[in-house]
Amino acid sequence: MLDKALETVQSLKYGDDIEPLKAIDDAIVATHGNSDGRKQLETQMLEVLQSDATRNGKDYICRKLRLIGSEESVPALASLLSDKELSHMARYALESMPSDAAGAALREALPKVDGELKEGVISSLGVRQDDRSVPALAALVSGEDAAIAKSASEALGAIRTTNAAKALVNARPNAAAAASVTDSLLACAESLLAAGDKATALTIYQKVSSGEPPKYVKLAATRGMLACAAN
Amino acid sequence: MGTNRSSRRTFLKTATAAAAAPYVITSAALGNEDRPAASDRIVMGGIGIGNMGRGDQGAFLNRGDVQYVAACDVRKGVREAAKGKIDGHYKNSDCQIYNDFRELLARDDIDAVHVATPDHWHAIMVIEACRAGKDVYCQKPETRTLREGPLMVDAARRYARVVSGGSQRVLEDYRKVVDPCWNGELGEIKSINVNVGPLSQHCNLPKEDQPADIDWDLWLGPAPWAPYNSKRCDGNFGTSGGSWRSYVDYSGGGMTDWGAHHFGGATFAIDVRELQPEEVIYHDSSDGKYLTFKYPNGRQITHNRPGKENMDVEGTPGEKREPKPIPTYKGTGGIYGDFIECVKTRERPFRDIELAVNSVMVSHLGIIAYATQRSLQWDAAKQEFPGDEEANRYLDRARREPWQL
Repeated sequence: MLDKALETVQSLKYGDDIEPLKAIDDAIVATHGNSDGRKQLETQMLEVLQSDATRNGKDYICRKLRLIGSEESVPALASLLSDKELSHMARYALESMPSDAAGAALREALPKVDGELKEGVISSLGVRQDDRSVPALAALVSGEDAAIAKSASEALGAIRTTNAAKALVNARPNAAAAASVTDSLLACAESLLAAGDKATALTIYQKVSSGEPPKYVKLAATRGMLACAAN
Repeated sequence: MGTNRSSRRTFLKTATAAAAAPYVITSAALGNEDRPAASDRIVMGGIGIGNMGRGDQGAFLNRGDVQYVAACDVRKGVREAAKGKIDGHYKNSDCQIYNDFRELLARDDIDAVHVATPDHWHAIMVIEACRAGKDVYCQKPETRTLREGPLMVDAARRYARVVSGGSQRVLEDYRKVVDPCWNGELGEIKSINVNVGPLSQHCNLPKEDQPADIDWDLWLGPAPWAPYNSKRCDGNFGTSGGSWRSYVDYSGGGMTDWGAHHFGGATFAIDVRELQPEEVIYHDSSDGKYLTFKYPNGRQITHNRPGKENMDVEGTPGEKREPKPIPTYKGTGGIYGDFIECVKTRERPFRDIELAVNSVMVSHLGIIAYATQRSLQWDAAKQEFPGDEEANRYLDRARREPWQL
């Protein structure tokens, strides 16, 4: 059944019957807690991913590697990050992988991809709260590409570490990313406040409150400053 | 990729110009006994105005305290029909229509929006609306993944926005169950059963010729790329194929679509709306597979428990309790009126986003338990399955570039 499913996936086209593919889901459930079984299943999936399988077939494999992929899968997935058709699905698998290697693959891909693919990689680094990517993201916030700057600032807001907060405070953001930087600063301040770092949070709220932000942003910063002042 | 792609970078170039464009709020600015003056009306726009959105739009449009000024949909015919309806209602031509929701959100004159797109868009749109200072009424199910919920709540709280979920049934459909629970007639509430389904499935529909009037790339948005197929994006209410509600990239199927109502009603009835389950027990009995959601206060919700009807409650009827006042809508006009009243007063609505997130997450936790076919622990504080790396992979899904959360 599994062999038949993997064979079907290899040539999968939109419109094909996908009933045989349920054997893959069954195999994932059946190998829970069975490291040898999982490794064998992953290896079989990687063979499909690295073959001349259809785009749809590789898409399907990435969906399943999201659930069981280990470090073994990272190189094959990383090689797809620059593929316009499959970059997203490679991230689909990599983004939720607990392995450090997945984060490293995304960081390494960051300078090698452009445009929307770069925005995608940035997004995944943010979701992973990848603190090691903060320096690279900080540089992008101040870059000339407005879309990349906005994406990088949002990722820093998702990472929400002290390093991310410092990067946002020190950024000279592209004007088009200014609102995103503000939102991310507020997100960082909330995390810092929750962690007990009132001093840094207060500095951020004061920065956001300065100038002439929209009324609802000013109010958000003011509420933050009051929270910092509370015991 | 579609030919009419509306990318983030294209939007950034045009957003400033769009925001600066002049808009006419109303041509009937003076109020009367039945209608507040224009300056006192809530200025609204709608995003996603197909089936459910059309109904929501009608409800807001018919309110005298709302001035409906903008409609957004990725289908040209849908948004043009909306403009015709809105302009006809006000007897003017003021309504502006948009393909891209970001252009609508960039308008400074809009106070609030309603969102009724397919579910995979909800979180991005609600959060972007909050960042733009708008209050939001979002159709149910409000989330597509577990990670989205807290981010939506964060955005609402950060900017002190009124964000209401969109299940009118939670309060209105289950009173025969809710009232005896809250009135104390059933004694100590132990559990309630919800029967709902099915789960959504992977979609592998074939490619069809793409109509000229749909921005397919924007319809897909953060979901994985797929070729156009009319059934893939059909907004009918079926959950067993032939509608976006059937497919896993856009919906949790009946488990979330009707689950938002039923689990919403169940969490309301047994008064656990402010809590999240701490454990989901997967049962594989001879009578079938079913789930038990255990809450920190000892109450339970079961899902598809054999022999139980939908909304069956177990209590201790012989041990009556003191009645508790039953929460209800504010203002007039059902859940829409509740939202508008809260926009005015800045109170939290009946289906405040945090309560909505708590109820829809029951569906999501259930889907994950059925997928993994095992019991799961849930850490509400950390928003994760403690020590369960495999289950934690289900918390979210990577969004297709350039969409981000």
